[in-house]
Amino acid sequence: MKKVVSKKNRGLTKSGPLLLIALPGIVYLIINNYIPMFGVFLAFKDYSYVKGIFGSDWNGFDNFKYLFRQDALLIVRNTILYNLAFIVIGTVCAILVAILMCELGERFRVKIFQSSLLLPNLLSWVVIGFIGYAFLNADTGFINKTIIRLFGGNEVAWYTTPKPWPFILLLVYLWKNVGYSSIIYMASIAGIDKSIFEAAKIDGAKKIEQIRYITIPMLKPTVVILTLMAVGRIFYSDFGLFYQVPMNSGALYDVTQTIDTYVYHGLMELKDIGMAAAAALYQSVVGFVLVVTANAVVRKIDRENALF
Amino acid sequence: MKIWKKGLIIALSLIMVIGLAGCGKSTTGEKDKDGSKSGENKSYDKVVYAYATFNNIPTSEVLDTVEEEINKITREKINVEVELLPIAIFDYSSSVSLALQGGEQIDLFQSLGDFNNSVSSDMAYDITDMIDVYAKETKEILGEDILAACVKDGRLYGIPTYKPYALTPMVVYKQEIADELGIDMSQVKSVFDLTDVLRKVKEAYPDMTPLVPVQTGTSGVNMTIPEVDYLTDDYFSPKGVLMGDSMTVVDYYGTEEFAEICRLVRTWYNEGLILKDAATTTSTSTELMSSDNSFCYIASYSYPPEDTAASISAQVGNIPLGAVQIGEAYLDTTSINALTWMVSSTSKVPEAALKFLNLTFTDPDVINLIIYGIEGRDYVMDEEGYVSYPEGQDASSVPYTAQLSCGTLGNFFLMHPMKGTKKESLIWEEEQNKLAKKSPAMGFTFDSSEVKTEYTAVSNVIQQYLPGLLCGSVDPEVVIPEFRSKLSDAGLDAIIAAKQKQLDEWLKNK
Amino acid sequence: MFKQTDEKRFRIFSTVFLCLLTIIALLPIILIVIASFTDEKSLLSYGYSYFPKAWSFNAYIYLINQSKLILRAYGVTVFVTAVGTVTSVLVTTMLAYPMSRKNFKYRNLLSFFVFFTMLFNGGIVSSYMMWTNIFKIKNTIWALIIPNYLVTGFNVFLVRNYYSNNVPDAIIESAQIDGATEMRIFWKIIIPLSVPTIATISLFTALCYWNDWLNGLYYITKSELFGIQNLLIKIMNNVQFLKSGSSNYLGVGNMNLPGTSVRMAMAVIGILPIVIIYPFVQKYFIKGVIVGAVKG
Repeated sequence: MKKVVSKKNRGLTKSGPLLLIALPGIVYLIINNYIPMFGVFLAFKDYSYVKGIFGSDWNGFDNFKYLFRQDALLIVRNTILYNLAFIVIGTVCAILVAILMCELGERFRVKIFQSSLLLPNLLSWVVIGFIGYAFLNADTGFINKTIIRLFGGNEVAWYTTPKPWPFILLLVYLWKNVGYSSIIYMASIAGIDKSIFEAAKIDGAKKIEQIRYITIPMLKPTVVILTLMAVGRIFYSDFGLFYQVPMNSGALYDVTQTIDTYVYHGLMELKDIGMAAAAALYQSVVGFVLVVTANAVVRKIDRENALF
Repeated sequence: MKIWKKGLIIALSLIMVIGLAGCGKSTTGEKDKDGSKSGENKSYDKVVYAYATFNNIPTSEVLDTVEEEINKITREKINVEVELLPIAIFDYSSSVSLALQGGEQIDLFQSLGDFNNSVSSDMAYDITDMIDVYAKETKEILGEDILAACVKDGRLYGIPTYKPYALTPMVVYKQEIADELGIDMSQVKSVFDLTDVLRKVKEAYPDMTPLVPVQTGTSGVNMTIPEVDYLTDDYFSPKGVLMGDSMTVVDYYGTEEFAEICRLVRTWYNEGLILKDAATTTSTSTELMSSDNSFCYIASYSYPPEDTAASISAQVGNIPLGAVQIGEAYLDTTSINALTWMVSSTSKVPEAALKFLNLTFTDPDVINLIIYGIEGRDYVMDEEGYVSYPEGQDASSVPYTAQLSCGTLGNFFLMHPMKGTKKESLIWEEEQNKLAKKSPAMGFTFDSSEVKTEYTAVSNVIQQYLPGLLCGSVDPEVVIPEFRSKLSDAGLDAIIAAKQKQLDEWLKNK
Repeated sequence: MFKQTDEKRFRIFSTVFLCLLTIIALLPIILIVIASFTDEKSLLSYGYSYFPKAWSFNAYIYLINQSKLILRAYGVTVFVTAVGTVTSVLVTTMLAYPMSRKNFKYRNLLSFFVFFTMLFNGGIVSSYMMWTNIFKIKNTIWALIIPNYLVTGFNVFLVRNYYSNNVPDAIIESAQIDGATEMRIFWKIIIPLSVPTIATISLFTALCYWNDWLNGLYYITKSELFGIQNLLIKIMNNVQFLKSGSSNYLGVGNMNLPGTSVRMAMAVIGILPIVIIYPFVQKYFIKGVIVGAVKG
């Protein structure tokens, strides 16, 4: 029966008009994203200003060498581990906040909470770096000057003690992003048919059970899609978080250095365009391979939720 | 109805596409207008002068007025019209390189410590054969010795800003505290004499951290190691260096001098004599000095000690300051070519550009217009020739000023002195340029392109370890060996070998 | 009875928990607001504190002296945010809708086309060359609106995902049987159904335009076109630059730059308008979410 409908339906759905609707977006993406992609071949060139982009000499994979040195491995590990932590913990926290927010029901309180949680997202990393410094700085920081004095204990030279930094960075990440990403989940929860909850209530389901058996499963498509997108960017890192927040402190590099900051530090003096392009290509290709694989897996399990 | 809606969508899509093309058109139109405007009179070569500024970037109308004043001079003198392009200093390098890659017109630009890269990536025009024709006076002012810093493989690629090059290491301290504790600062002759002074201050003021860092990541002690030629490396990321008169490239971090200053700062750190967060502080040294918790800092300045103390005192809320010299100035190639003006390799009017550059070194009217703007509106001058902002205005409220860039543009010695400085200092400074000891490798520039991979890796390792060592927050006995083994893993030896090879070649051809 | 208390208890728990989170979110921001009102000297001598020893309005007096610059920059940013957001939402929903149609032939192809842009980019050099040489947008207001942000893959997928999960096929099918064109379906059925997601991406896009400074950095050299973020970041980064090693060769002592409290004050004025405007916008946003809830 269903098949018959969809066959009939396919007859009604013509591609032309739909493509026309999508046209402005397609044109924009071609111009903004696809045309500049010819720039990737800079990764294989020894750039010279006189010769220009097209005239510069090819130099094979020379520009990539610095990314595959022994010391670069640690950095790849950091990047991946941080991203995994951000994906998993970030998602859990965002969903939690979204669910609680939707349970409040009362608009005024939602408004207050939501505005406040979103506020950190409006700050630039430079400013967040300053805020972190206001708390952590060893000589005038709030933690050393006030909290530690109140509760006793030794002052900590935060910017030279690597141990707590994975937690600090995770905390700062959550602080900045949870409010923002919970909005997406709130919108998804709002989209759930209220009658399902009503029916569950009549059947005597408790709140916790409703969340467990209705809300969370209904959020699955959103979670899948956001995770897939995050996986594609697993080799990238938020430069500001890893550069501004630890104040670029050398003593912390073992735990704060990611691919983006490594590339930045390495190239600050040389400013080699080819090497920068090589790093970007490397990140994209790895992300691409990972996401295509992940998407294939999702498609196998649940066709509807795959990205493409 | 249906058709109407459909039409709307199509129209919208079209607007999107045409809109993109449309904005393109409107700007081209404007450009044509500009072109015809100047075409009405005589045709002049147009030169775009891109300079870095710390001040606010003026509006276009204001820039136009200053340009017009400059053009009055340049049209007549060299048949050139100038467009000023001030760019905020922090994104200057990236903006200029992006613009040059994008094929935009920038004819003159400056290096900010990256002269070497500009030349090796072909950003700079070879001006060897042009300088005698179009910038003869400048060549005479600077002299062959100074120009040699911008020579690479026998070709000249730029003209260094003419200013006090010689940086003399000093301790800047609070006079009142020194007087109160009876400390005779003139007895401090080297950085090692400072320890006892710091201890005395700490004893009297246990809550104080007497020494503050001059910049994030350094206590300033590294600038006191005498006679180091950094051989084109960044001062804050030295790799292979020359020390003294020896022509053997050495690993900076393996030298006894380096270990010694690290140990020194470490004792300061352990005794609480230096700011704990020196390696990461977000405050500038002037900010730190204006608090009650500090006594002194170590820095290198190009002014005489008394002047330095006076001018910094004005910035820290007029706390009386003193300064003593704790080392000798030393000139190497980088100290001169760090700020170099270059004609861009993509320039269509290199001759005109060089002619204008020449004026920024020789014509006081031109350079003062660029620095201070228009007299009466942007600044006023007293009878003795000292400059200040008009009544009730300051650097951030006048329509145009680039005063903070004074040490980076053209000929510093032609600029009007600011009120509060002394003209005599200029003479001292020009003298210092001649007297300061010069590295035997003066004029040598290192081309890092053959060791690029190692260079990036080594830079990373240095940034990881150096600030901690220079601020005392890590123990040198443990960390230096670890640091050095990481450096050699990263390929420092290859860099040193490459430097030695290029240096030997350079010596042979000299 | 039992259900009621269960719900009530849960509501109380939610409120308490979110209250805590709100405090955690706000405290650090309050600290910089207070720092901006703290006397510079007291800040450096006694450290950052919620109860500073000495208050001062100097930082704001410094900024008021520059109010002409700041007001103009606000103007630029408001214009860019408004125009950018409206255009972006329109184009994004139009692109996302066909991607959500299960029987659209090119559905997967289009999704991949969009997704690919999220992974690969040609780098700033080539897109800069294109925008400045072909489209000539350097130093025009369009440079702040068009490049990079008009359509982002992330938003497209958010909207597509919303459509696939919340727009029942049956509605579209019945409309098709009634003979409605695709355009009509999109305007009359889809747009009204997508209020929550439009609210969401409008918010994201508006924030993105408000906080953007990269386009300004690359494409704007005329100071009258600087947005508020560009103005702030320029001043902040100039200070950062001075503190970094690369500035040492300047060797100039005459740098009288804004101190810590001024920088904090700048951060405050950068977010202030949003803090003021957001509650008004949010009314629509929350309404959108609730409308969606009713309809869905």
